[in-house]
Amino acid sequence: MKIKINGREYTYEDNITIFEAARRSHIKIPTLCYNQKLQPYGSCRICSVEVKDRRTLMPACVTKIEDNMEIFTHSQKVRRVRKMIMELIIASHGITCNLNCLNCSRATSCEIRNVAAEIGIDKLRIHPMEEQIKPIDESSFSIVREPQKCIVCNRCVRKCSEVQGVDILTIANKGPETHVTTFLDKGMGNVDCTNCGQCILECPTGALHEVYHIDQVWKAIEDEEKYVVVQTAPAVRVAIGEEFGANAGEIETGQMVAGLRLLGFDKVFDTNFSADLTILEEGTEFIGRVKNNGVLPLFTSCSPGWIKFLEHNYPEFIPNLSTCKSPQQMFGAIVKSYYAEKNNIDPKNIVVVSVMPCVAKKFERSRPEMKGDVDYVLTTRELGKMFKQAGINLREVPPEMYDDPLGESSGAAVIFGATGGVMEAALRTAYEVLTGHNLEKLDFHEVRGIIGVKEAEITIGNKEIKVAVVNGLGNAKKVLEMIKKKEKEYHFIEFMACPGGCIGGGGQPIPTNEDTVIERMTSIYDIDMMSKYRKSHENPSVKLLYKEFLGEPNSEKAHHLLHTTYTARK
Amino acid sequence: MEKYFQKELLEELHELRETYGYIPEEDIVRIAQRRNIPKAHLYGVISFYSMFHLKPTGKYIIKVCDSVSCRIAESESVIDAIIKFTKVTPGNTSEDKKFTLEVAECLGHCGEGPVMTINGEFYTYLTPQKVVNILKTLD
Amino acid sequence: MEKIFLKNDLGLDKYPFKGLRNALKGSPEDVVQKIKESGLRGRGGAGFPAGIKWEYANSIDNEIKFVICNADEGEPGTFKDRFLMENLPEKVIEGIIICAYAVKSNYGYIYIRGEYEKAIKIIKNKIKDLYKSNVLGRNILGTEFNFDLKVIRGAGAYVCGDETSLINSIEGERGRSRIKPPLPIEKGLYGYPTIVNNVETLSAAAEIMKYDDNPYLKMGTEKSRGTKLVSISGDVNQPGVYEVELGKITIKNIIEDLAGGVSNGELGFVIPGGVATEALGPDEIDVPYTYENLMELNSGIGSGGMIVVSNKRNYFEIIKNVSNFFKNETCGTCFPCREANRNINALLNHNKLMSDLTSEQIEIITEIKETIGYASRCGFGQASVNFILSVLEKFNDGRVNS
Repeated sequence: MKIKINGREYTYEDNITIFEAARRSHIKIPTLCYNQKLQPYGSCRICSVEVKDRRTLMPACVTKIEDNMEIFTHSQKVRRVRKMIMELIIASHGITCNLNCLNCSRATSCEIRNVAAEIGIDKLRIHPMEEQIKPIDESSFSIVREPQKCIVCNRCVRKCSEVQGVDILTIANKGPETHVTTFLDKGMGNVDCTNCGQCILECPTGALHEVYHIDQVWKAIEDEEKYVVVQTAPAVRVAIGEEFGANAGEIETGQMVAGLRLLGFDKVFDTNFSADLTILEEGTEFIGRVKNNGVLPLFTSCSPGWIKFLEHNYPEFIPNLSTCKSPQQMFGAIVKSYYAEKNNIDPKNIVVVSVMPCVAKKFERSRPEMKGDVDYVLTTRELGKMFKQAGINLREVPPEMYDDPLGESSGAAVIFGATGGVMEAALRTAYEVLTGHNLEKLDFHEVRGIIGVKEAEITIGNKEIKVAVVNGLGNAKKVLEMIKKKEKEYHFIEFMACPGGCIGGGGQPIPTNEDTVIERMTSIYDIDMMSKYRKSHENPSVKLLYKEFLGEPNSEKAHHLLHTTYTARK
Repeated sequence: MEKYFQKELLEELHELRETYGYIPEEDIVRIAQRRNIPKAHLYGVISFYSMFHLKPTGKYIIKVCDSVSCRIAESESVIDAIIKFTKVTPGNTSEDKKFTLEVAECLGHCGEGPVMTINGEFYTYLTPQKVVNILKTLD
Repeated sequence: MEKIFLKNDLGLDKYPFKGLRNALKGSPEDVVQKIKESGLRGRGGAGFPAGIKWEYANSIDNEIKFVICNADEGEPGTFKDRFLMENLPEKVIEGIIICAYAVKSNYGYIYIRGEYEKAIKIIKNKIKDLYKSNVLGRNILGTEFNFDLKVIRGAGAYVCGDETSLINSIEGERGRSRIKPPLPIEKGLYGYPTIVNNVETLSAAAEIMKYDDNPYLKMGTEKSRGTKLVSISGDVNQPGVYEVELGKITIKNIIEDLAGGVSNGELGFVIPGGVATEALGPDEIDVPYTYENLMELNSGIGSGGMIVVSNKRNYFEIIKNVSNFFKNETCGTCFPCREANRNINALLNHNKLMSDLTSEQIEIITEIKETIGYASRCGFGQASVNFILSVLEKFNDGRVNS
């Protein structure tokens, strides 16, 4: 089709929208409610463009191009209308009066600010509305909702419904009371929210953010009586640089370690250590189930968003879950037992802080079965804030090493951060344990990549192990339904709540989209390639842990410290 | 197409409204399950419509029209009289659960105003005195 | 003088269904042709030629099509549909069946606003009777034509009068509008071709089909054929539903001759077609009541719900009342409509007198009206500032009590 945009001719084959046609012509049309990955909602109307011979402006995100269409993306009419809509949003959002951008969680990444700048707001003619103060929803352990900042763009609702299949958000009422909320306004902590935090990533404003633990962590660090230990998830190291404007991979892991030490943590350890530990425990568990006709397929259990999702919606599958705790929780348990004993520290004085790409981990640590082994959880974003509060520029700090012994890890551990990583790490170990042979080809490419559901058949010895790797809860739902209907059979499935795996987690820097996820993923596999050890069972510190303390994988002591139970939730 | 031959959601909700005066939570959960709709989504639908209440209502639901024609006919004084008599403000239910008062948008009886409905039944040509007399007869 | 056409069969003992019988004698295309020739325009508010709508619907090839009668009359000042449903229920239903026959549909709904309890009861009972007497259901009046009709009740949302919002409402969704294209006629209720018509439009179609000739050709003007039911209320002595011949009576006549004149002082202004239309002053009402004349005055016939306001009224209070209405009834989906109505309401309420409004503020309201007109999702938003701005522009005469 031949169309004209701003007087220039373009030819496009498919029946695309004006928005897409403009994008391909290198013209960015501003929007607040449109996201390519979600069903278009058409509510903000900021993407309205002028089309010849049409009475009204047309919304670019839903209007398809037609032959000989003449489009004007920034005519005087369009600019006037966009500015007025923005001014109305600003007046209702109370930016100048009740709210202050400066103390908002999205002060540096708010999309209202970005779009206002793109549109070129030069005056605010409408008196800001004096709103009633809308109560903040603090019912959840992981996520905070501030309705006053919400512009009702419906993106969180769509993300929760279309991508994650969790469906706990909706738009209620009409007129001036139109608002985003949960079932009967009960609050996110009181409905079936899985805490995956994908809504936070989707929200253009500061209406959704994590529950902050920053102040508590500062307090612990400054408390001389406390021995404060920090662990870092694999997915954090490849993303933290984005908080400083760096590209993925630009900041070395060692620089993050140095920064953490400068913050004042007594020891800087690595969750990767306990990821290796998890592989040994879970690998043994898997082999046991296969040999003894245990419940299969085995489901991984390190994603707390996934766990809560299963507990709410598919409790019949609880026996399939691995009883292993997540690396975060195993770490806390080991610190407060093995490490404390070995170093003569009273566990009551130990504070374990984890830095996670995840907000569900804030819920996970609070689960009664976890016995408070982890005290506080910081998201990647929170860590960025703390670095800035301490005046630390991660790009300039010279790199340092993790502390021993809980800082040693393998490449198999770091790939936990990407979807397919847990599976690949497990396979590297399972292969050698089952066959007794050395694994030459360490890379299982079949389970890598951001596609929602990946399947593979891996030959280990004389067995064909059928595995699947699932990321995103919407895909988890699909796969569980297939298993229920006996349409599919697997031995082992890795489930991650967030699209892309942990690198796409709800606690990661904003923006988190397909592009940033792929960049972070590439960095993770690069780190794996350059690691000294690439299989979990080769990790010397983990071997020592078993020798000195745990005995062997799945031992009674290991069960007591490193395994957990689950609850069917109504 | 089978949907045409099944009861529509709106009708199901009206029946609950007629039975209970409002839409109870257990019924919302039940309907959501049976129709395979997420609970949150169903709540979003129900809360859109002014006739559906989500909290228990009084024995008598009073709706007074305050649109242009009725306003011209002095609906404001009638509303004030109702507030004074029932001791309820618009949008609320009285302590003794007897009255729920709402200000409604045009009820389609313009020219006969001021107009109100009590549990759906219409009362027209109201005055402050007349409306109090009507309310007094309700037990 | 009232022109009685639609109101002809009021008070009949036994309703003969002459219009339906005539329609069934010919082909669906014959019916479409007659309605097209008649020039009947949609009587709900949009004024779109019904015949063209019916022709398009008829031409769409699909086994399943829906006919919906829009009886969600919520426009303030409008009560003519209620009049028709309570007093001429057979004619309303007849119109629906005729439309279904013309567009080749076998399934229909009548969506009646929930507050119209009496009308709902009457229509529901009438439908039961008509199934028994073979006017609805299989083999209607002994022909091959089948048609099922269901009542569905609205639940208190003015926006559901918009056709796509109405369809969403029937499907059990929030009553927000749909993005067009596709049009409901292409993809409507449950994804099937759907035609939505107002109660009065369908009743008029039924009446037209009664006659062998085309009565509309002898009534009205070239662009505004036939008669219209006007519901008139406000500061008039005899409010009610009056039938007028389009073009043969002026707005002034309607007020003075039919409605008994202004009841409280002199005429201030009249809102001709519901609060989505611009107000007209005493010097503008001596014009024939037609679609084209009112359009020339930058107003509209709208729903035919005429509200007369005397010059003794506080105009500012009336504007605030209408602004309140739009603020509360917006479906809340699109930013322009939701935020504009909310902010305009706040702006108006900030001032005690109309004269307190500065010229900048009126300029802002004007620009908001332009924005909302260009960028809203549906007709509700697009029309929401019309009345308010027209009063601010025309009647801001610095009177003490306004």
